Amino acid sequence: MPTKSKSRRVVLLVGTVKGAFLYHSDARRKKWTMTGPHLPGWEIYSLCGDPRRNRILAGTSSFVYGTTLRESSDLGKTWKQVKAGPAYSAESGFELKHIWQIVPGHPSEPGTWYAGVEEAGLFVSRDDGKTWQELDGLTKHPSRKLWFPGNGGMCLHTILVDPANPLRLWVAASAIGVFRSDDGGKTWETKNRGLPTVPTGQPAELEVGRCVHKMVLDPHRPGTLYQQFHGGVFRSDDAGDSWRSIAAGLPGNFGFPMVVTARGDVFIVPLHSDEQRFMAQGALKVYRTCDRGRTWRALARGLPTDPHYVGVLRDAMATDPLDPAGVYLGTTSGEVFASADNGDSWTRLPGNLPRITTVKTWVR
Amino acid sequence: MKIEVSLPSLLADSAGGKRRFTVEADTLAGALAAMLEAHPLLRPHLYDEAMRTRKHVLIFFNDENVATLPDRNVRLKPGDRLQVVQAVSGG
Repeated sequence: MPTKSKSRRVVLLVGTVKGAFLYHSDARRKKWTMTGPHLPGWEIYSLCGDPRRNRILAGTSSFVYGTTLRESSDLGKTWKQVKAGPAYSAESGFELKHIWQIVPGHPSEPGTWYAGVEEAGLFVSRDDGKTWQELDGLTKHPSRKLWFPGNGGMCLHTILVDPANPLRLWVAASAIGVFRSDDGGKTWETKNRGLPTVPTGQPAELEVGRCVHKMVLDPHRPGTLYQQFHGGVFRSDDAGDSWRSIAAGLPGNFGFPMVVTARGDVFIVPLHSDEQRFMAQGALKVYRTCDRGRTWRALARGLPTDPHYVGVLRDAMATDPLDPAGVYLGTTSGEVFASADNGDSWTRLPGNLPRITTVKTWVR
Repeated sequence: MKIEVSLPSLLADSAGGKRRFTVEADTLAGALAAMLEAHPLLRPHLYDEAMRTRKHVLIFFNDENVATLPDRNVRLKPGDRLQVVQAVSGG
């Protein structure tokens, strides 16, 4: 349920291709101060504020120096590299290109963390992030030889833990599709029925080849999932066993980010098209559904009215658990916009940052 | 024999915050091993999963690229240096 405490501090974690930036506010979320760049020069594809140990975890990458995991216990002032972070074995034949997602495990497993990476794979830590092992049931899935990268790379960008069952996990990877595990990540099944294939040049009847851009889990209905697909927006009411379109009423079917609030409202940012990956007519708009995708409403109050031919990347949007919910997004041109009223109105936060890759919230 | 190692600023935090440090070894191969032993967090930054030097990483022994040296068992002498640099890559 939404959090109502007025005394809490909100930290907005913003990752870019050249470092991380933090925005700080109180629960009213009217005034923000920025710190950073933190980890300047590193590509930051993932960030996570860890309320369990009061730290920030960051997936840091460089096309020169590879990909590692770093943590800070002083709000980004100092960082240390995790010694045994996610790393593929030499025998795997896979390369760790980016860490796309860092998420805590089920509340009943306080030492468990998951990391989704490119090349697509899933890692787990059972000791609160000190050491990580690949959950190789996923990369040993029979479909692995057919996995195909999307334009953003072969990235495992979404990890969802069923709040009602710590053994049930979903992951999504581009341009591969959705997988579900019901045994804590040991084994996986594809969950792509109802999703169209994307033209990877492979046979259309494959169980993979679905370009999921981002997927969220309804906090009130554990079996209900939503996803922004490469060409559509979909909902599943049966834990991913089947999907159906909820794109009616949207201006287009292409986009990347998707977030859900504690109340179950879903937000997306449609783009013009696959070929023109920016806002249609240069109009930056967010779309919200409060009825599980039956209707969508365009939200633009406070968003810039001058032409914004920008995009919002798949992990560059977030919500906070406060009431009313905060909604945040970062653009490919480095602007950050925030709403403290569930998307009804927006303000631009200070600063013009590098290309924004990830936005997360941490309410302390 | 002590040999000085220098790093790019991006990797300083993988070496205790230092961009320059010394390691003790008799040969170049020993110095490379000692560098990783002293600062194991450097390993994933300099080498890939198969322990090949990363494509855009250059490790210089004095003025020579270690990757092209025929013999890494060359004995160290006073004043020798190891330098990690980013290969010029675009731009």
